Amino acid sequence: MNRNSKILNNKIAGYSSLITFVVLLIAWIAGFSSRLFAVIRFESIIHEFDPWFNYRATAYMVQHGWYKFLNWFDERAWYPLGRIVGGTVYPGLMITSGSIHYILHILNIPVHIRDICVFLAPVFSGLTSISTYLLTKELWSPGAGLFAASFIAIVPGYISRSVAGSYDNEGIAIFALQFTYFLWVRSVKTGSAFWASGAAISYFYMVSAWGGYVFIINLIPLHVFVLLIMGRYSPRLLTSYSTFYILGLLFSMQIPFVGFQPIRTSEHMAAMGVFVLLMAVAALRHLQSVLSRNEFKKLFIVGGFLAAALVFVAVVALTLMGVVAPWSGRFYSLWDTGYAKIHIPIIASVSEHQPTTWFSFFFDLHILVCAFPVGLWYCVKQINDERVFVVLYAISAVYFAGVMVRLMLTLTPVVCMLAGVAFSGLLDVFLQEDSSKRMPNTINALQESDEQDESLERKSLYDKAGKLRHRTKQDPTHDSGISSNLKSIVILAVLMILMMFAVHCTWVTSNAYSSPSIVLAFHNSQDGSRNILDDFREAYYWLSQNTADDARIMSWWDYGYQIAGMANRTTLVDNNTWNNSHIALVGKAMSSTEEKSYEIMTSLDVDFVLVIFGGVIGYSGDDINKFLWMVRIAEGEHPKDIKESDFFTDRGEFRVDAEGAPALLNCLMYKLSYYRFGELKLDYRGPSGYDRTRNAVIGNKDFDLTYLEEAYTTEHWLVRIYRVKKPFEFNRPSLKAKDRLIPPTNFISRKNQKKRKGLIRNRPIVVKGKRTLK
Amino acid sequence: METNWVFFVAMIFSVTLNSTISDVINKNLERTLDITSQLVKTTYKLTVEETSGKPLKDYEFIVREPNLSYISVKDGFNKKVEIEEIQENGSNLLKFNLTFSEFSSKQTLLIETVSTKNILAYPSHIKQNDKQLVKFVGSLYLYSKYPTYAQKTNVILSSPNILSHTQAKPFLVSSNKIFLGPYENIERLVDEELVIHYENQSPFLTVNTLGRTIEVSHWGNIAVKESIHMTHTGAKLKGPFSRYDFQKDGRSGQSAVKSYKTYLPASAFGVYYRDTNGNISTSNMNLLRDSVELELRPRFPLFGGWKTQYILGYNVPSYEYLFSSGNEYLLKMHVIDHIHDNMSIDEAVVTIILPEGSSNIELVTPYSIKRRQNDLIHTYLDTVGRPVVSFSQQNLVESHISQFTLKYRFSKISLLQEPFLVILFIYIIFLFTIVLLRLDFSLTSHFHKD
Repeated sequence: MNRNSKILNNKIAGYSSLITFVVLLIAWIAGFSSRLFAVIRFESIIHEFDPWFNYRATAYMVQHGWYKFLNWFDERAWYPLGRIVGGTVYPGLMITSGSIHYILHILNIPVHIRDICVFLAPVFSGLTSISTYLLTKELWSPGAGLFAASFIAIVPGYISRSVAGSYDNEGIAIFALQFTYFLWVRSVKTGSAFWASGAAISYFYMVSAWGGYVFIINLIPLHVFVLLIMGRYSPRLLTSYSTFYILGLLFSMQIPFVGFQPIRTSEHMAAMGVFVLLMAVAALRHLQSVLSRNEFKKLFIVGGFLAAALVFVAVVALTLMGVVAPWSGRFYSLWDTGYAKIHIPIIASVSEHQPTTWFSFFFDLHILVCAFPVGLWYCVKQINDERVFVVLYAISAVYFAGVMVRLMLTLTPVVCMLAGVAFSGLLDVFLQEDSSKRMPNTINALQESDEQDESLERKSLYDKAGKLRHRTKQDPTHDSGISSNLKSIVILAVLMILMMFAVHCTWVTSNAYSSPSIVLAFHNSQDGSRNILDDFREAYYWLSQNTADDARIMSWWDYGYQIAGMANRTTLVDNNTWNNSHIALVGKAMSSTEEKSYEIMTSLDVDFVLVIFGGVIGYSGDDINKFLWMVRIAEGEHPKDIKESDFFTDRGEFRVDAEGAPALLNCLMYKLSYYRFGELKLDYRGPSGYDRTRNAVIGNKDFDLTYLEEAYTTEHWLVRIYRVKKPFEFNRPSLKAKDRLIPPTNFISRKNQKKRKGLIRNRPIVVKGKRTLK
Repeated sequence: METNWVFFVAMIFSVTLNSTISDVINKNLERTLDITSQLVKTTYKLTVEETSGKPLKDYEFIVREPNLSYISVKDGFNKKVEIEEIQENGSNLLKFNLTFSEFSSKQTLLIETVSTKNILAYPSHIKQNDKQLVKFVGSLYLYSKYPTYAQKTNVILSSPNILSHTQAKPFLVSSNKIFLGPYENIERLVDEELVIHYENQSPFLTVNTLGRTIEVSHWGNIAVKESIHMTHTGAKLKGPFSRYDFQKDGRSGQSAVKSYKTYLPASAFGVYYRDTNGNISTSNMNLLRDSVELELRPRFPLFGGWKTQYILGYNVPSYEYLFSSGNEYLLKMHVIDHIHDNMSIDEAVVTIILPEGSSNIELVTPYSIKRRQNDLIHTYLDTVGRPVVSFSQQNLVESHISQFTLKYRFSKISLLQEPFLVILFIYIIFLFTIVLLRLDFSLTSHFHKD
């Protein structure tokens, strides 16, 4: 009998591990393949903006080696300042793909580093789903874990940051985040220093990968703190947190970019405070076992308050003294959503820093956003140490996701986990009695996985055995009241919902998140054919081939990384927006008149100016539409020269047509965008100079450039590149405006062909003279 | 030893030539100069006579123009004539010694030469809307060691717009042709210049470097990859580039190269056209009966002085190019392939990667090349590395598209090495997993309960 049950147990364990393996494998494959839309539709290419920098840095590391990378001073960025890349970057991403590249090359697999970078995020999505499975298994049950793993593999909220080609920190950071949490929960459960050190190492990886590690180093202390408040202190907690905190602190300080921040900035102070508190509590506990009850009570109250006050005073004092840096701007904007708009326009100008709309919650998470409160409720209902953690995780992540679109990413894993708990709980109730019947394959799998969780749970639960008892008690009461018809209806409904979720995920991924954004595709409405606009690469490649190697290119900061990555030329500002005043200077050059900006450009040694202009094809993300941010940022640093109000009409409108503000119609950005556009007729009936993006005929049509000349314009006019002339190249360097007789404005317009010729005839003489002198 | 021998032969030739030099005359010469493109293609139809009636064994032919890329000589019976270059120090003239296969006192020679970089833009910088004018400088008469009895030259130009040309009477200009001559009794070694200044809007594209890699797989595929650096070497663009003019005005930027056609072998498949920034989306492929026509559009139109570089790759099935008998293999492929019409390649580096385990490699090329160091390359599933044969040559044109042959030995059993490696690898993984799962690695001893 005993032997039989043992064989049966082995069999079940075998089946369950097979099912777990298969489900996780399928989740991995599904997650990987649903991220490939962009590769299949376009090609294996790095997307957007930041990934280009990461790719460039990785390529540099692969080419020059790790130590050279750490010491890399990039003189091609932030001209003339340069950028210390090794010290201002989270190197985890580069190390990851660099070591994959290294290993593959040892095995004689000559994969190009670009392909590794492109496919890194999809591969890591599989690891994320595995670590989500592990975490959910720790928190609830293996069945819920499998649900959660499948959810996170395809949920759009995570796919949005991890499609193939989106080579960004977040792609690997979510894996690191989930894995750290798994190890942390494991260590809290077991109280073993082994798991706690594992958590610290995983935390180290997270620190090396993404600035979001601050979320971990605040959430874990919060967990400990809440456990203390709930009176759930245990020696296990002490072991795991002290091990994790000390090791994690030391590890995190090894990253050059982080350095001494963990002991000097406010963001990290909570962790230290909780550490001190935990020590105090542990000491009190010890005293409690030594002292009598009354003595201890007194000591506890007095000592506790004293210690709290001491810590608080110490932190405030250190902050005021400047030893501990106050909260950085980005973190302020987490508490006060209006903060960035007023104080830091450069942060507010990024669309992913905007508050999240309700719509995008559903768009990114679909049914999970409805199911996740259920899971949360389950967890609250049957609380234990590790479920406190997931509750806190959920609450904080919901808050942050509401503040910033970008932080939807941190919400997604916890939503998947809790939705997994919810669905697993639901199926627990409605599938229980049907276990003897033969079911269709999928349900069978689910049900078997549920069986398997129980068998596994029984084995793996070291503590809190009460949890299982709860459920076994509950289930029969539920079952008894439910007819089999109702059950099958509910199950069908659940399956339908899950199916619709999968459809929605695929649809969102394919439509919203799979555009490389450097290659644009549109469908021709007439013949249904697909056209590709490759203007960005056309322009960048032109720059890389036909300009001097050390040419300096001025553009708005959005395009800095792309110019560096694709054109390999020096830029003035880029997406690493560390120097606001430099960006403001570029903004000032763009929003001043040609003459004034020429002074700025010569002082910055600019050779070429690059602007994005969408007026011909109706591309809305162009520089004119971003222009007000340039003005705002410039105004922040140069309030005397640039005023935002100058760029609005009297009625407060921002318009580019004839009624537009004169400051706008004569600024450099306007001129560079619309140079010779006034002559262009987009269709035969329409007027010339009709801007399709802003649906207006431009106001300033007929102008010439004195200090710049058109160097290249792409096929659809999307990217326009101008060369800044050298002082000897325009023929009137000494003729200041005030020294000349200014002809009345109508005189200019009556200038006939002859007079123009006269001017040109003079020009070569002056130029030749200068050139021969040179 | 060999150089000594060559030297010896050259000595004998020069001695014999010196003794008989006065007796040979160029009886008649018809020369056609085709300067419609960036290349100078010259065909000579030359009748040579030994006036003393002795059989004529050899003839010395001098090429006056620099940058000669290609020369081929046939006699009147369309038979190949042996060509040997005469090495001479201190002279930049190329001299060839032609040895006839049949000896008679009267011989006919059909000589074709192609030279590059002899048509230069003049003016060298133009504005976007200007026409590209070029100047050709050549020799008016045949520069020869022997006196020429009669000669005439037909020049074919790319357009009827001729600004000036050397006025050596008699001549006749008709549309885009200039007929010069007949000129009679030209002394030997007369060096007169022929200058023609005319409009030439044909693409002046020069391939600076061509890196051609041929990777042979015995699983039925040959992968060809060409990495190309290209420059527009016509008149350089002066002043601004205006997209508006370029789009609206058909006359604007006529000398700019918007696209060109590349012909690949008919069996080519899996064609890609990309650069460091990824796929170049502006290209078309047409399957023709005897070739694959690729219409390549660089990312941007190439104006004078503008550069671009790209990688073009394709696969061909190996049965068309790889022949075997037992363990002996023979690879027959083009040294270079078509890139665009009237192409001119400054330097080509051809690399042939053979399967791992190939030995006894022998390379036979249709013309002289510079062999490079043999090398080993490690790619997928390699252990000791694949042998690499590499050679280079400078100044190549379309006429150089011809086949090389490469013999090597490869034992068929080593074909099984790669699948065996994969199987072994997977087997080890399974074994490792099994061992890992069956063993208990924990430090503490668990009390086993059921």
